[in-house]
Amino acid sequence: MTHILKRLLTAVAVVALASPAFARDITVDLAGEPSSLDPHLQWNPDSYYVYRNIFDNLVTRDNDGKIAPQIATSWNQISDTQLELTIREGVTFHDGSPLTPEDVVYSVKRITNPDFGSPQLGQFNQITDAKIVDGSKVMLTTAGPYPALMAQLVKLSIVPKKIVEKLGKDAFNAAPVGSGPYAFNKWSRGVSVTLNRNDAYWGAAGPFENAIFRAVPDAATRVADLLAGTADLVVSIDSDAGIQLKGNAKVKLLSAPTERVGYVGLNLDKPPFNDPDLRKAASLAIDRLGITEGLLQAGEVPMAQMASPAHFGYSPDIPAFEYDPAKAKELTAAKSELASTPATLATAPVFDQRIVQAVQQMLNDVGFNVSISMTDMPTYLNIVRSEPAENSELSFGRWSCACQDADGITYPTLHSKSRWSRVNVPEIDALLEKARVSLDVKTRQNAYTKVHQMVRENHYLLPMYQAAVLYGSSSDLEFMPTANESMFLNRMSISE
Amino acid sequence: MTGRGATFKSTLTWWPAGLLLVLVICAVFAYWLAPFDPDRQNLLGRLKPPGFEARGKVFLLGSDELGRDVLSRLIYGARVSLLVAALSVLLSGFVGVTVGMAAGYLRGWIETILMRLVDIFLSIPAILLAIITVAVLGPGFINVVLVLALTRWPRYARVAYGQTLAIAGRPFVTLARSMGASPLRVLALHILPNIVGPLLVVATLEFGLMVLFEAGLSFLGLGVQPPTASWGSMLSTGRNYIATAWWIAMFPGFALFLLVLSANLIGDRFGDRIGDGR
Amino acid sequence: MLRFLLNRGGQALIAAFGVVTLVFFIQRLSGDPTALLLPETATQADIDAMRVTLGLDRPLIVQYWAFLSDLLRFDLGRSFVQNADVWDIVSSRIPKTLQLAFGALVVALLIGLPMGLIMAITRGKHVSKFIMWIVLACQSMPTFWSGIMMILVFGVWLRWLPSSGTGTFAHLIMPSIALGLLSLATYARITRAAVLDELGKDYVRSARARGVRTGRLVRHHLLRNSMIPIISITALELSQLLAGAVIVETVFAWPGLGLLTVQSIAARDFVVVQTIVLMGAFVTIFANLAADILYSVVDPRVRLAGQS
Repeated sequence: MTHILKRLLTAVAVVALASPAFARDITVDLAGEPSSLDPHLQWNPDSYYVYRNIFDNLVTRDNDGKIAPQIATSWNQISDTQLELTIREGVTFHDGSPLTPEDVVYSVKRITNPDFGSPQLGQFNQITDAKIVDGSKVMLTTAGPYPALMAQLVKLSIVPKKIVEKLGKDAFNAAPVGSGPYAFNKWSRGVSVTLNRNDAYWGAAGPFENAIFRAVPDAATRVADLLAGTADLVVSIDSDAGIQLKGNAKVKLLSAPTERVGYVGLNLDKPPFNDPDLRKAASLAIDRLGITEGLLQAGEVPMAQMASPAHFGYSPDIPAFEYDPAKAKELTAAKSELASTPATLATAPVFDQRIVQAVQQMLNDVGFNVSISMTDMPTYLNIVRSEPAENSELSFGRWSCACQDADGITYPTLHSKSRWSRVNVPEIDALLEKARVSLDVKTRQNAYTKVHQMVRENHYLLPMYQAAVLYGSSSDLEFMPTANESMFLNRMSISE
Repeated sequence: MTGRGATFKSTLTWWPAGLLLVLVICAVFAYWLAPFDPDRQNLLGRLKPPGFEARGKVFLLGSDELGRDVLSRLIYGARVSLLVAALSVLLSGFVGVTVGMAAGYLRGWIETILMRLVDIFLSIPAILLAIITVAVLGPGFINVVLVLALTRWPRYARVAYGQTLAIAGRPFVTLARSMGASPLRVLALHILPNIVGPLLVVATLEFGLMVLFEAGLSFLGLGVQPPTASWGSMLSTGRNYIATAWWIAMFPGFALFLLVLSANLIGDRFGDRIGDGR
Repeated sequence: MLRFLLNRGGQALIAAFGVVTLVFFIQRLSGDPTALLLPETATQADIDAMRVTLGLDRPLIVQYWAFLSDLLRFDLGRSFVQNADVWDIVSSRIPKTLQLAFGALVVALLIGLPMGLIMAITRGKHVSKFIMWIVLACQSMPTFWSGIMMILVFGVWLRWLPSSGTGTFAHLIMPSIALGLLSLATYARITRAAVLDELGKDYVRSARARGVRTGRLVRHHLLRNSMIPIISITALELSQLLAGAVIVETVFAWPGLGLLTVQSIAARDFVVVQTIVLMGAFVTIFANLAADILYSVVDPRVRLAGQS
């Protein structure tokens, strides 16, 4: 009797212990719920973390950041404005229907149709036409030479024409059907989105039976969830929260440098930063290394240009900024009245307040008169994009174009036509425009290098550092964070 | 009652007031009491535990996420927390009592309009008013006071209204009226003194709430501007460090707890004395 | 009475309309959702195009007119951010909000009532003061602080309860306590006052003189007779709880209306904010109306406005 009981107990124990191994689920804590699961409708990390697992993109980036085949197996630049893509065969959507070149053409036309009103229109509106050639290829035509095209196609998800047309916009958004490694299962509004593994996926689908993405707005709670074992992966935490994870064997901290560049924007039309000497003083006052290594401590790297090694157009020849508060003090002392003009530093709660406060103190230490103005995100955006007269003297920002091309970061922040830019230098404008339409890698690189040099010499704005992204994960999860902050479940694995 | 019991009772009565006094002294004399500049950062001395010593300086209560002295911030923080609470109670009390008394005494269409205005303000989410105030007026200390006053005045208005209604019918008021006293005179000399008790109870309880609300605004990123220390802002950043640097949140948390508790105790005792159970 | 009800009901409707109008205009003064909807690289042309898509390029008064005429047809509109019918979004949150509000109410009643009762019976004794301390202490901590402490103790350290989220009854416990603690003192105070009131009445005195024991007295008379003020305050407290859960919902990732409000304001999702405010306005204004009526019933000295 006891014998049988013992055996039974052992059997139960084995099943109980073993079952997670072959039916492992993953729970991911995001900061917010996806606002949309239709990949053509919404653009924010909480949405694309989820829908990029449901849909395949035209091309993708591998973990090293190189553009790699996905739905397009190969591509060929036929002319300055024409790109021919070969479409992968044998890919099926989650309902079993095949993915055809027709779906690719439909997806391109859907997102580039101004009436559709996609928030991502600006990323794709250089594409003027898409058509099927030779039955299995798709030809894209752009308005002019467009070097960033491939970088943009990384973000173009393929949707099934027939299903979208049958269901309509709303029903498709509520229950999306894609061809990716995970199929949509359930969306509890405000709570979570559940995905199931697509075992018919053409590539590796990953180790998880189900994936649950939850919305947990408070960072402290996300960390607590991870520590309590109710979440396997959490996003948007800072390095100080990471310290909590270090002493615990069940969890670990993952980080990687991203294509995000932290910078301090200067208002060039207002005192005190309309004065080149004072701009230089501001730059000399900021201890970039102190901020990245003393404060942030998650692999951030000081930058002296509006680009990072993760971008095309980064120039390794740009020397680092000096940190010399004594020299900065001399410069401000020479113009002490101008330097002490009250200046506000605009920021929003989403940014790391430690950096903002550190920058404020460093500037005030050398004789500036800076106060912080923290407002919620829409107000902040209004301020930093307004005309120079209404704009704040200083602003903190972290820029990412999710395209890993210098065009996406230098053009908006430095070109006089951009609302983000408070720089108005014809030579920079000309260089940026040239680099934007040239297909010659060398011409582009030279133009960006020249721009970086001019920015560094004149301190039109103050690049600070290449930001890192941090994740907390359970210790048996193998996940390699990438520069474009993607989160593909099928690239993760379970150790042991 | 035994002598011992009486002492115990009076201690219970007086310590909240004594504590409030100590906090007010801290706030007023912060400049002389605080060992260091509360905003002075030291990136090499971040997150150090209480008693930490650097360059001959002792950080009695440790340092925060930017290496600032927690004790100095605590002392300066008393200033912001007390001032925000006091000013917002005064402002909301003044507006609310004026509106409530006017509505309760004048009646008629003025009553209708004022009291529906009260309803309107009661039903707009406070957070919406807070965000919009900050968006339109910009952030800052004064605007935090404005936000709190804007969201809380209806409470006073309702109490003042109800009390005025109850008093306005009493013979001594009717008498004063019939003798030709102006409405302002009646309100100020005859009605206000009779309703001030319950209003003071509300105000003391609200004082504690205002301290908590300021903290809540800080948590939502709408409080006083960094780097200014308030207990609320210290607590809302410090809560991210509970497991690794407990001292950042624990001290302001305890101070805030004591402040609100003593405000509540005073209000409660006060309510008892004037026989208002509510 | 009927005339009074019609009159006040009409006024309440006008007040609700006033709230919605006010919110419609002031939130549009506070910014625009387009900048957040678009990627950082969006140009001014992209932003303008999005404004046209959302209908935000029209003059304010035209937008307001469109909003009103849609409202008359019970069409509340679509969320700018979530690309869905606003009613679907808001209504999915209502059950969660009610669960939390009732959970908090139960906590406040279960602890507040007995504490108020004990305080009244032991009036003047140390027990009474001690309980008052505890009650007031519960109300003296910011919820974002007590909330994370509970999560760390019961969720992470002891692992008795799920650390956040929703789904089972266990998920409801911690947020309910965090929110309920705030109302607890109100209930304790009211119960104490009501019971003290009853204790002073003749029937209690004579019962006591006859030697009826306190426990029996409480069970048979005091509680039942003290219920009226407690019930009347519950209506008001409930509408407070519905609105006051913003921070609790944020900390515990509880998908109620409070969290939705904050997130929608932060994204300037006007349509969602409008809808929540409209609902909230009706609940609050009619709760106040009910309180006014109760007030006049309880205290006949108060003449009701609208009754001559």
